[in-house]
Amino acid sequence: LTTRDPDENLTALPMSGGHRVQSVIGAEQLTFLGQLRDYLDALDPALLEATRAENIADPMQPREHGRRFLRQLARDGWLGVSWPTEYGGQGRSEIEHWLFAEELYNRRLPNGLLTLNVIGPTLMLMGSPEQKAQYLPQIIKGDLVFAIGYSEPDAGSDLASLRTRAVRDGDDYVVNGQKVWTTGASVATHCWLAARTGTPEDRHRGVSLFIVPMDAPGIEVTPIVTQGGERTTAVFFDDVRIPASQRIVAENDGWSAIVCALNFERLFYHNEPRWELEQLAQWAEAEDLLSGDGAEAHALQERMGELAVDVEICRLFALRGASLLAKGAVPVAEASANKVWWGELRQRICNSGLDLIGEAGTLAHGSPYAPAHGHLEHGLQSSPVWRFGGGTNEIQLDLIARHRLGMPR
Amino acid sequence: MSGLSYTDEERELAATARSFLTSFVDNGYLNAQSETERGYEAGCWQRICELGWTGVHLPGRVGGSDGSLVDAALICREVGRAAFASPLLQTLRAGTVLTTLRSDKQHDDLLAAMVQGTPAVLLSPPDRTLVGELADGALRLRGGACLVEWYAASESVVLLVPGSDGAWWCAVVPRPMLDRYATDVASIDNERVSRLELDGLTVPGDVVRAASVSSRSARYALARADLLRASAMVGGAQEVVERTARYALERHQFGQPIGGFQAVRHHLARMVIAADGAELLCDDALHRAETDADERAIAAAALFAAGRSYTEVVLTAAQIFGGVGTTVEHVLHHHFRRAKAMQLRSGRRANRLRELHQSLVVERAARPSSLW
Repeated sequence: LTTRDPDENLTALPMSGGHRVQSVIGAEQLTFLGQLRDYLDALDPALLEATRAENIADPMQPREHGRRFLRQLARDGWLGVSWPTEYGGQGRSEIEHWLFAEELYNRRLPNGLLTLNVIGPTLMLMGSPEQKAQYLPQIIKGDLVFAIGYSEPDAGSDLASLRTRAVRDGDDYVVNGQKVWTTGASVATHCWLAARTGTPEDRHRGVSLFIVPMDAPGIEVTPIVTQGGERTTAVFFDDVRIPASQRIVAENDGWSAIVCALNFERLFYHNEPRWELEQLAQWAEAEDLLSGDGAEAHALQERMGELAVDVEICRLFALRGASLLAKGAVPVAEASANKVWWGELRQRICNSGLDLIGEAGTLAHGSPYAPAHGHLEHGLQSSPVWRFGGGTNEIQLDLIARHRLGMPR
Repeated sequence: MSGLSYTDEERELAATARSFLTSFVDNGYLNAQSETERGYEAGCWQRICELGWTGVHLPGRVGGSDGSLVDAALICREVGRAAFASPLLQTLRAGTVLTTLRSDKQHDDLLAAMVQGTPAVLLSPPDRTLVGELADGALRLRGGACLVEWYAASESVVLLVPGSDGAWWCAVVPRPMLDRYATDVASIDNERVSRLELDGLTVPGDVVRAASVSSRSARYALARADLLRASAMVGGAQEVVERTARYALERHQFGQPIGGFQAVRHHLARMVIAADGAELLCDDALHRAETDADERAIAAAALFAAGRSYTEVVLTAAQIFGGVGTTVEHVLHHHFRRAKAMQLRSGRRANRLRELHQSLVVERAARPSSLW
């Protein structure tokens, strides 16, 4: 019998066999990630801590600290990683942008949310030269925050039935109506507003898209507090005048901009499930269950093992979307799959994490005794919107069946 | 293909494999082979060897194609798509373990024989129910009975089992040496399986070319071999999704294709998500460029996800096909059986998940090479 350990040979033999590897994340991307981490590590710890706390409490509304944080990133040239240099970005690929988002989400820091990741890219594709010149430089400075004005009391999933009207009057449009679930409107500088310019019978062919400053006369914002503590709003429009120059794409063609923006939106879900699983792991370690050998420990390890696999799949659904964008393709079914997986996984981690915790899981976040700092309890309260926001998961499943498999409506 | 990271050559290899297999494999062929004594066709096997599949990942010095694990995995994916049963997967797994563990040409004769078409098998029970120990210069085996696919068709058995002191044993045993401990048994799927009772067996070291290997090396070699099975399961899942989608467009009820019903569309979309997740993880593992524990962790995750997804996909497909899918007249029955069989060949779910917990949750935080 020979007993020579061939370990030294292994180091030269990666899984791929060591040749013809085309890894999506190459040396250049890893260098970028290293630089980003160094940069974030060196930021003022007080700013980071305040921003993180604010972002955990309510991630959809960058308030005092989040705004400061984003402006700091902007000043240091870190916003707009994949934006073209002509718009003040770093001109890197969507892969780096994905790494940027994952890293910030992993630290629970805001990354520019809808404004930078949805409105900006949609404007680049569909905005007029004047609109790009007006908004993109301000967005990349971190000066603007957009709220999305799609949903109405009677137009949720059936968005094409929306009734808020925009009537042409000279060089302006006059807007009347009501939006709801307009998350972030109370802190936003602008609303990305879908309004009817055609007849109700025109459905999605009678919708136009506008950018409206939130301080325009006639706008009233009413807060709605949700069970998880996140704030959303209802927004009322009473004879609000919008210059026609603020209409995105042609009159009655706004649906194309909505679809484009929604596909971007469904791709910006990232690393939160990993963070939540880590909260559970920290709790389990303190309870001696993480590496323990009893029946309870085994049950936990089995559950967490499967959730950890699902977190890796979550990473790859987002990376696939980024890779398609990097190739110039527009992910549709892929964006939907990303959104469905992310939201359901996050909810599953919070829900089954609490199952593992047991009765102590009833302690509300904020209590010093709340297991996992209350993050799983808070997450579960917040989780419904993960499954219906950005288009319900049922609609996403239909999009997947139609776009990937050619199913009829 | 996920389209993330394959080269043109790899795509061509996969396309060639698919066109070869679809030229003759259908449900009738698979049913007929299942009824035969051998379980696979000699002429077909010879053709596979001429195509270079058994040595696609082996070095040129033994007549192989100098390809990578990715090449072997892409062939396995097409084999999985076709639900095609043969000693190929086992031979590729055995070759992968030997080339991963040894580069000193000790097994070149065996590898050359594989290229020429001599099947070999890998014997490494997934739940480590067989262990080896050194006894008077020989390797003594202890443990319960184990199942080995295509044992009877093979000439050599590559044994990879844990030892008693933390190290592992790798041995190449001539198959006839084990025959009196082996019984052919019926498997739920169309692969051929033998049951081996090796408890107490002592094999002389000079005959079996045994060597001690570190646990790290052994597990790493197994992870690479397991990626081949994962890839076959991914291929099976993809094929079932596509077939089911075609059926949902062809089959009419209530005056419309059943794919027009939202409940059916949602089933189909869930199947897409399951198959895509498994594919992405498998491809991610195959394209890892650094040799470290993180790479092994992702490979294990890929194996788990592939088994879970393939099974989930066939269960939903059976619901959409209804009675048609349950008959042996439809190829779905092969995928249905193969999905669960291939998943179970990775051992007990609870054991795999606890290993994944250890590698992905407990050890990961301390591992600088993982991105997050």
